[in-house]
Amino acid sequence: QEFQFGPCRVEGVVLQKLWQAFWAVKDIVQAQDNITSVQLLRKEVLQNVPETESCHLIHALLRFYVNTVFKSYRDKAVEFGILKSFSILANNFFVIVSKLQASQEKMFSTRKTARRRFLLFHRAFKQLDREAAVTKAFGEMDILLSWMEKFYQL
Amino acid sequence: HIAEDTSDLLQHVKFQSSNFENILTWDGRPESAPDAVYSVQYKTYGEGEWLEKEGCQRITRKSCNLTVETGNLTELYYARVTATDGTGRSATKTTDRFNSLQHTIIKPPDVTCIPKVRSIQMIVHPSYTPIRARNGHQLTLENIFQGLLYRLKLRINHTYQMDLEGKQREFEFVGLTPDTEFLGTIMICIPNLFKESAPYVCQVKTLPDRTWT
Amino acid sequence: DGAAVLPAPQNLSVRSVNMKHVLTWSPVIVPEEIIHYSVEYQGEYESLYMSHIWIPSSWCSPTQRPECDITEDITATVSYSLRVRATLGSLTSAWSTLKHRFNQNSTILTPPRMEITMDGFHLLIKLEDLGPHFEFFVSYWRKEPGAKEHVKVVRPGVLPVYLEMVEPGAAYCVKARTFVKAIGRHSAFSQPECVKVQGEALPL
Repeated sequence: QEFQFGPCRVEGVVLQKLWQAFWAVKDIVQAQDNITSVQLLRKEVLQNVPETESCHLIHALLRFYVNTVFKSYRDKAVEFGILKSFSILANNFFVIVSKLQASQEKMFSTRKTARRRFLLFHRAFKQLDREAAVTKAFGEMDILLSWMEKFYQL
Repeated sequence: HIAEDTSDLLQHVKFQSSNFENILTWDGRPESAPDAVYSVQYKTYGEGEWLEKEGCQRITRKSCNLTVETGNLTELYYARVTATDGTGRSATKTTDRFNSLQHTIIKPPDVTCIPKVRSIQMIVHPSYTPIRARNGHQLTLENIFQGLLYRLKLRINHTYQMDLEGKQREFEFVGLTPDTEFLGTIMICIPNLFKESAPYVCQVKTLPDRTWT
Repeated sequence: DGAAVLPAPQNLSVRSVNMKHVLTWSPVIVPEEIIHYSVEYQGEYESLYMSHIWIPSSWCSPTQRPECDITEDITATVSYSLRVRATLGSLTSAWSTLKHRFNQNSTILTPPRMEITMDGFHLLIKLEDLGPHFEFFVSYWRKEPGAKEHVKVVRPGVLPVYLEMVEPGAAYCVKARTFVKAIGRHSAFSQPECVKVQGEALPL
């Protein structure tokens, strides 16, 4: 059981556990997102990503989630009593980012196009009010997990 | 101005999905609003417009088939219902964010169990869904879920079991005792999404061995 | 300030076998009193990004026993900080924190217990169910020179599981080991167990 994002391989993360953790809190979290006309992780960010770019893109996205989204969503996680699911997701994303760090540094060729996709996401994030953007990003983790699943091998 | 409480008009607005047939259902207390009518709208998450569902405007039943409207597997959707009673009171409620790939329940497979003298063959038939490919072909669960596999068990008089598993559709349990009852269960499993169907069960008896008679 | 002070629990340690993790500590003794304990944890993420936030353990906030099954709290292959404190009525001790952070990849994997039986000419194996983390790799072969070794992934269940059709008069051996996906490690193989099949060997 491992992720294979193009040349980058990540072991030791059980995808079903992430799904379970997110499904346990999905409706609570998504109910806080009232801006139903905006989707941060939209098609232009995640659809038809060549394998070679997948490593850069997932590293950029997950690093953003670890450094910004989870960090900013922390108090809400305490408020809604969802710390356990929050911890499962945060720590496993942390594992993936740590393991991707080494391998994706070696690949320069595909960085630019992957970067452009990430910036689409980041720009949409910046256009929203900070708290609304964090809530929306946290609630869109199922979109991220669905995309990551394509690179998961049992 | 005190907002009138209309919660009794409308409750539990949600999607019920199995094998990608997506039905919107809701409840309303009939005794308080016997003449209530309901209108359904839906929208794609990330888009601005709510669209009216044709055929589910000012209806009296409490369900609406949104399979076609919510059929894109990579999209997420919302639906909402507006209930209006005879006195003009109304209430609107919206579903949680819905994606059929995540939410659909997998029905048991359709299987033919064929007993022989010393074996039992099991043929799993494709599970068709309402989802169509661009070329118009109806998609099966196998087409949709790459990791889909079948898990089969044959229980031998409550003392032990034989297990088979795989992506193919034809399986055979061999080395069985003739003229004996067996209980077979067959499930569809989608490991990555942690989905599993209820089992299809077949009770079957191997044929008598007439070679020496 | 003469207020009574409750001593903090000492000698914290984690015993982890087959992905079952138990935190233990020395009990706090106050004659004729019942002491309760509370356990909390932090993953690597929390330690780095939200160090003031600790998460109550699933089963031991509070508990009366000087140990806590933290298996369900350890949900990633990262290092975890763990802490315990004692409570007696309104009195609460200081927190005691585990000296060395715990990572589930240090768990001890033991060879699985198995039971080999026969039903007619069916070779069967019964394996202990160690939980969802585990896969079982079972090797079996006919006990004769040059025999081929077969390997099967077996899912433990309530009933014994069929392995192979065997021939009368022959002997067969079986061994098994576990594999844990989350940490990518195998256990050692169990000692092989051999069985002799009843009846006359078939003529060649």
